[in-house]
Amino acid sequence: MNQQPGLSRRGFLSRAAAGGVVAGWSTQGARAAVQPASAENPWRYDVDQLRKVDPALIRFEPVRQFPVGHAAARRVVFGRHGRLFVAAGKSVLALGPEGQRESAWDVGEQVRCLRVDDAGAVWIGVKDRVLVFDANGERTARWDAFAGKAYLTGLTVTERDVWVADSGNRVVYRCDRKGRLELRLGERSADRKVPGLVLPSPFLDIEAGADGLLRVNNAGRHRVEVYTRDGDLEQSWGRPGVAIDSFCGCCNPIGLALLPDGRCLTAEKGLPRVKVYSAAGEFESVVAGPASFAAVGSAEREQTVAETAHDGLDVAVDGEGRIAVLDLVGGTLHLFRSKA
Amino acid sequence: MSASGTPMDPNTRREFLRNGLRVAGLTGAGVAVGVLTHHTASADTVWQIDPRKCLNCSRCATQCVLEQSAVKCVNWFPICGYCDLCTGYFEPQPNGLNTGAENQLCPTSAILRKFVEDPYFEYTIDESLCIGCAKCVEGCRLFGNGSFHLQVRHDRCVNCNECAIAKSCPGDAFYRAPAHDPYFHFTA
Repeated sequence: MNQQPGLSRRGFLSRAAAGGVVAGWSTQGARAAVQPASAENPWRYDVDQLRKVDPALIRFEPVRQFPVGHAAARRVVFGRHGRLFVAAGKSVLALGPEGQRESAWDVGEQVRCLRVDDAGAVWIGVKDRVLVFDANGERTARWDAFAGKAYLTGLTVTERDVWVADSGNRVVYRCDRKGRLELRLGERSADRKVPGLVLPSPFLDIEAGADGLLRVNNAGRHRVEVYTRDGDLEQSWGRPGVAIDSFCGCCNPIGLALLPDGRCLTAEKGLPRVKVYSAAGEFESVVAGPASFAAVGSAEREQTVAETAHDGLDVAVDGEGRIAVLDLVGGTLHLFRSKA
Repeated sequence: MSASGTPMDPNTRREFLRNGLRVAGLTGAGVAVGVLTHHTASADTVWQIDPRKCLNCSRCATQCVLEQSAVKCVNWFPICGYCDLCTGYFEPQPNGLNTGAENQLCPTSAILRKFVEDPYFEYTIDESLCIGCAKCVEGCRLFGNGSFHLQVRHDRCVNCNECAIAKSCPGDAFYRAPAHDPYFHFTA
């Protein structure tokens, strides 16, 4: 009888190996078919379209961009002769017009806001008080602390007044240059028809204009309020929304600056945008949009909740209309000028 | 015994079996000690999410072995802005600031909005509805203070030895927390 040859051990093993490869491949194929790719996340919070700005609205161009050289840069102002001063952690950095660091001095406390006056003195707001330094970094004055839950976030200096924004107490103080408190402004008052400041996050900024009026960002109400020196609410403008002429998110704008002709610059977080409004509050143009500040709002980094609250931009203008924008996340300074 | 008359194998079948049983016994004892040690350690720690590392990728909603994920959104009230326009609650472009379903960001309407006083609203999470997708967390993080965050809820989590979500987490945000203090504490 002709017997069929049996399966040799070698043949059996090679067939088993081939079968295993085929089975493994088909199993992986089935898994891939069942599991959606991560790009197909049905719950993605999608603001990609909102990050786009019509190029026709951008009427400023970048001049220069440079790193500040400090991880905790928070505020920027112009000084005399085109110099830039940056609040970074417990330090103040003085930068030349080209971005080169000229000097730096330690204040000993976290610097929350700062301003350089016409004489070159540097006014600094720390958590609950104002410190004054001369141009060489020598301290010349230390005010008494403001009461309550003081958390200073804005400062502006005129010939006779020092305005101090306290986001902890949701109020703006008018002081004389010696630090004597003269007026509280912005608190809710039915008699004066002041709605009160709403500040979900600690961004209360102020700007004193050549017209003698004070601009205050009421971020939780998505508007800019204009007050007289006596604390009367003269005007307010702005509305919530993601459209380019509105203020996005829960609380914007977070920063203000005034161009020499009185027009107002606003800085936003979430959708990082710097925009120009007329003195009457009509939207005019865009200085820079989200494409210029890629790091702001990005989730591709580790951050603490405290850092989230500082995730945005600050903006400053000098007497010649040059605009400096500080990217708090990227730690970079961007200089812009009008295209016209 | 070898049929060809070669010397006997010194390892008889009886000895072979005896040695095998010894090895098996020792191996079993080792495994038992290992398992016991691991279980003791596991009982002391539980899975948790570090919100600072969380990328809000939504995998918590799909990767958990439970039918409904043990990961839920939690609102940390000390830093919540109580915003009227809460970007964790509302779609990026809502028709109005009201509780209309079309305006809500949450796919299951798990966030409750309650008026406190002008202009403040309180937001709480209905955990029976929350699926842990993190859409609200990303909205809050991007525009707000980041008070919404994901946490593994230990009235639901079965504390798997190998957590399926932790294994797929792209931010490596899962860690073992002490069982007596299982939730993440913000220090901001």
